[in-house]
Amino acid sequence: MAVVFKKVELTWVDRTYVVPVLKGMAITMKHFLRQLFTSSRKRYTVQYPDWKREVGPGYRGLHELKRFEDGSIKCVACFMCAEACPARCITIEADEFGDLNTLQGFAEKRPSVFRIDMLRCIYCGMCEEACPKDAIWLRGDYEQASYDRLSMLFGKWDLMNTYADKDGKARITQDPTPSVPRPSGKA
Amino acid sequence: MGSLPESCLMEPLAHHLHLSPATFWMIVKLVIAFAAPLTLAAILTWVERRGSAMIQDRIGPNRAAILGRWRLLGLPQLAADGIKFFLKEDLVTRDANKALFWLAPVMAFVPAMMGFAVIPFGRTFMENGTAYHLSLLDPGNGMGMLYPMAIGAVAVYGILTASWSSNNKWAILGGMRSSAQMVSYEIGMSLAVLAIFMTTGGYDPHQIIGAQDSVLHWNVVRHFFGFIVFFTCMFAETNRLPFDFAEGESEIVAGFHTEYGSMKFALLQLAEYVHIVVAASLIVTLYFGGWQVPFIKEPPVLLSVLSFAGKVVFFCWVFIWIRWTLPRFRFDQLMFLGWKVMLPLSLANLLVHAFLMHQRG
Repeated sequence: MAVVFKKVELTWVDRTYVVPVLKGMAITMKHFLRQLFTSSRKRYTVQYPDWKREVGPGYRGLHELKRFEDGSIKCVACFMCAEACPARCITIEADEFGDLNTLQGFAEKRPSVFRIDMLRCIYCGMCEEACPKDAIWLRGDYEQASYDRLSMLFGKWDLMNTYADKDGKARITQDPTPSVPRPSGKA
Repeated sequence: MGSLPESCLMEPLAHHLHLSPATFWMIVKLVIAFAAPLTLAAILTWVERRGSAMIQDRIGPNRAAILGRWRLLGLPQLAADGIKFFLKEDLVTRDANKALFWLAPVMAFVPAMMGFAVIPFGRTFMENGTAYHLSLLDPGNGMGMLYPMAIGAVAVYGILTASWSSNNKWAILGGMRSSAQMVSYEIGMSLAVLAIFMTTGGYDPHQIIGAQDSVLHWNVVRHFFGFIVFFTCMFAETNRLPFDFAEGESEIVAGFHTEYGSMKFALLQLAEYVHIVVAASLIVTLYFGGWQVPFIKEPPVLLSVLSFAGKVVFFCWVFIWIRWTLPRFRFDQLMFLGWKVMLPLSLANLLVHAFLMHQRG
């Protein structure tokens, strides 16, 4: 690859420095005055703790585990997200539904444990891509901080409630379709 | 003459304080000559930070607030920084020359403050047959404008001492560069000022200002090239960008004050800003008619002081404005500019004026 040197011939006006310096000063003064007479709301800087940035609909922020209307989890514990995750931050333990639930139209499996280590998560959205049931979404919340590591481990119920307040849904702490032990002898 | 209310108060006030009017006036002038540049320098740090932010489309420091409530456009940041500087640990490096290391900030700061002493910041007024001059040193002291030039030249020792005593390679590089720069620019500057002394017929600031009694007689018109040289040299003299080779933070860490912290650093920094104030007032005195008000002959004293202050503030702003406009020169470019452009230019300026004066007889 050839390096191209661009030779700039300065005119005698530019050689005096004075005129180019004045030009530069005009530019900085223009910026100064424009910024000075722009109300702080319209400036480029978002003064963060006071004002929040609006994020687009595709923003990959904090995860949410989606639920059905009755409150049962959409996730079927297929481990696709855990496999897709490049940071290996998703831990899933599967649980069985009883036949009763299967008859009602639910899948056979669901997670008993669904944990995301937010300190490891890189918010790439691969889990969202991989999910066959659209059960995990990455949404707009980008403010995650805490004073200890443990509270950055988001469990199943944390993840199901991350956007409950924002969406005006009830916070749920237990599954409306509890797992029922299978009738003995069938398994 | 005594149109100003204060001027009528001079004798009664002095009487109440059991002082002679002359002593009282001297004390007043002392307070003004010390407080004004210091206050302006402190405000300039704020102007620099907020102004540069505006120039670069930023916001600047605005979080510091009095009692966590009143932000006042970021002005409390000054107080916060000051308190921080006082509370910082006062580190002296092991191999530093301790005595000089402590002395250097003072050596940088005192000459910076001293330069203001000779500059008249308002019109002389008469009361009861006594003339009250608004400059710390009365006219006819025999030093005139030579004094701030000489003091300005001493300022380099503060920087040099700071750099040498801290026993740091970056610092010594900054100090050497700074001294080389100051020495080379001093010549061009002195020649530019010499032309003014010549055309004025004296080197007393009162005389120089008196000669610039209308806008067309301002020396900036008559000595335009001299002004360019002097203005450029003032940047070299104050170690400001585009000539801040003493600091040069992208090349030599922080230059001469690499090893400095806490209040000693603050003093070095304050010295730079006081230098700006003094440089601005020198420019105003020499080239922009000092306290003269445009289009008003014999202005009232207060108006003349305001006029001087306004001009000085404007030129302080120009110093900041240029800092955030221009990048730093390369050192050889600086030397080239100093010796091969500024010196011949001021020399030519001097010779042309000498020739013109000779022609006029």
